[in-house]
Parts: sequence; structure tokens; C-alpha cells
Amino acid sequence: MNVVLDRARISVRREIFALLACLTCSLAFAAPYELPPIGGSGPAEHHPGKIIWADLVTPDLAAAERFYAELFGWTYQTIHAGNTDYAVALLDGRPIAGLLQKPLPSGERRQPAWLTFIAVRDIDAARRIALGHGAKSVSEPKTYTGRGRQAVLADPEGAVIAMLASSSGDPPDYLAAPGEWIWSSLLVRDPAQEATFAKAVFGYDVFDLPSDDGAVHVILSSDDYARASVNSLPSSGHRRAHWLNFIRVMNAAESSAKAVSLGGRVLVEPHEDRHGGNIAVIADPAGAPIGLMEWSDTDTKVEPK
Amino acid sequence: MSIQSASWRRGLGASTLLLIMSACVGVGYVGGGYEPYGYVGGGYEPYGYDYGGWGGAYRVGPPRGGPRGGGGGRHAPSIPSAPRGGGGHGGHPR
Repeated sequence: MNVVLDRARISVRREIFALLACLTCSLAFAAPYELPPIGGSGPAEHHPGKIIWADLVTPDLAAAERFYAELFGWTYQTIHAGNTDYAVALLDGRPIAGLLQKPLPSGERRQPAWLTFIAVRDIDAARRIALGHGAKSVSEPKTYTGRGRQAVLADPEGAVIAMLASSSGDPPDYLAAPGEWIWSSLLVRDPAQEATFAKAVFGYDVFDLPSDDGAVHVILSSDDYARASVNSLPSSGHRRAHWLNFIRVMNAAESSAKAVSLGGRVLVEPHEDRHGGNIAVIADPAGAPIGLMEWSDTDTKVEPK
Repeated sequence: MSIQSASWRRGLGASTLLLIMSACVGVGYVGGGYEPYGYVGGGYEPYGYDYGGWGGAYRVGPPRGGPRGGGGGRHAPSIPSAPRGGGGHGGHPR
């Protein structure tokens, strides 16, 4: 009798052990993860309309990490976010971007791209306004521990944009250091309509800048700072509305050449822009476009009246 | 079938059920695919569009210098100019 009872006890213990072991493995795999906060180290600031983050979607995370590390000096904090490998890019320890590994849909050719995140105070309210002004939902609002609440939309012309209500506040307004995002442009067919949309959703002040080449150049500002431009796409080529983000570099020509040596391509050759510095557009080894922009601390070029 | 393997099978069954339940929490469409419960960032864009070929006409940069302020003369403001660690929290250098 005692022998039977002992065997039963041992069996129960084994079952409990096996269940706990498997549950532990499952929870580890599906464990909640925390993303690093993107706000500053001081009291939380909020800057609605500011471009505060960008995520790269790429099929080869390791190659992207190498490319951007060599080009901009980024380091990485890798996060296993559920079934997703996500590398948070750091510059001098500050999180500035995310690199997301995602397999290409089988049998399809798709374009790797950077996704621009604009600060809002209330995702759901901003999203309602956007949808009411012709935007389409790309991904529903979702809250991430440490990051905040975010959603992805396509604007009336189809340019994909994310909005983010950062739970740690927004990064403070400093001049971008080399290797940081300094500027963003929205390139569309109808800049006036898109500026009206952006004003309604993000509360921007809108400024039409004179241009001597006939191209439309609209500045979106908030907190009395220029946050982005809206520009007309050229009629030539096969083009679609898109956002493009620029990293501050010391020398656009040298950075472009380095990008090529690292497996990238030059899409727009370095040339002088209206602010007096050079800009260029490159593609990383997987083809994602990204801008390079020089910005001298001492230049005093004034926008023509 | 031994008692031990039956135990492990029950454990695996429970863990599979847990995984399925956790996957149901955050399913979202992401530009051509579904992310079961990972981070939902952006998605791939359509292929075959031109992002370059503009040459010198590609002028999209911010204004710089000049008067700031949203009212009055409607001069477009520039980007933040306060250096990090240079005092203040990105104060407006007027």
C-alpha cells in the first residue's frame, strides 16, 4: 500500500514539475517586454508635432546594424519583442531609432523603409481626426510598456506615418548632434492639401516659403520651431507620396561616399540646399532611403523674402 | 506510455494553449503581414517607386536664420539651435 502511495506522490510531483517547466518556457517566449523611454532625462516635456522617432523595417537586421553603426556611430540595444527582433539605435546612450527585422512577404518585392513618428498627446483623438480627414488606418493603436501608445496611418495621398504619445514625454528641443535626426520632409503631389491635413491632425502652424524654382515648399512648425517640410514631387519618374528623414552629418559628400563603400547607394547626389548646407539622399544596403543633411552651427544664411 | 512522458505531454499542451492565448492579445495588420504578439512597427512599402533622380532641384531643407515667430510677419521659424548641454532645455534663441 505504501509503495503504491509513494509512486502516486512521485507521479504527481513529476506532473507539477513538467507543467511548471513548460509554463516557464512559454512565459519566457511570450514575456512582456519593455522598450526604452524616448523622453529626456529631466521632467517630461511634450512637443506635439515634433518628429520624435523613426523605425526601419528591414529583412536583414545584422546588415542594417553594421551599415548605420559605421555611417553614423550608432550602437544598439537588442530587444526580443515577442517574436520580433528589434534593435534600438543609440547615439551617446540616447535612444534615437529602432531597427526592426521583418521577413519580406514571400513571392513579393517590397521596399524597406523608415517610418516617421510624430508626437501627439492623445493617439485616439488624433487618429479620429486623421481618419475624418481622409487618412486610412495601417495599424490600430497599441500601447507598449516604456514607449507609450502608437498607431500607423496612411495620409490622404498614401504616405505612411506613425503617431506616438510617448509615456516618458518627448525629447527636448536641442540642435541635433551629428548622427541624429535633424529634419523630415513629406514629398507629395498636392502639398497644400497635405499641409491642411497635417495642420488639422497635428496642430501645426503652416508657412509657405517663396521659391525661385517654382517648387512648392511648405514649413510645418510647432512650439515656434520648424518640424518638417511639405514639398511637391516632381512630375517625372514613378513616384509615390512618402516621408523622408534626414540625419545630420558633417559632410554630405563624404558620408555619401562612405555609404556606397558600405553597400548603400546614392539616390540624390550631394548638393546645396536652401539653408546653405549640402544634403543628399542615400539608400541603405536593403534599399531603404534616408537623407543626409549638413547643418553648420555658424551659418547665418537667411531665407530669401 | 510512461507516466513521465504523459506528464510532459500535458505540460506541453498547457504551454501551447498559453502561447495561443497570448498571441490572440495583440494581432495587428502590418503592411502585408501579421505580427502575432511582437512589436508592431512599420511595414514594407510598395516596390518600384523612384526616390531619387532629382539632382539639384531636390531642395527640401528648413529655413535658417532670420526672424522667428508664428505671428506678425509670418516668417517661418527654423529648427532648434540650442546645443545639448549648453544650458536650458532647448530654449528659444531669439
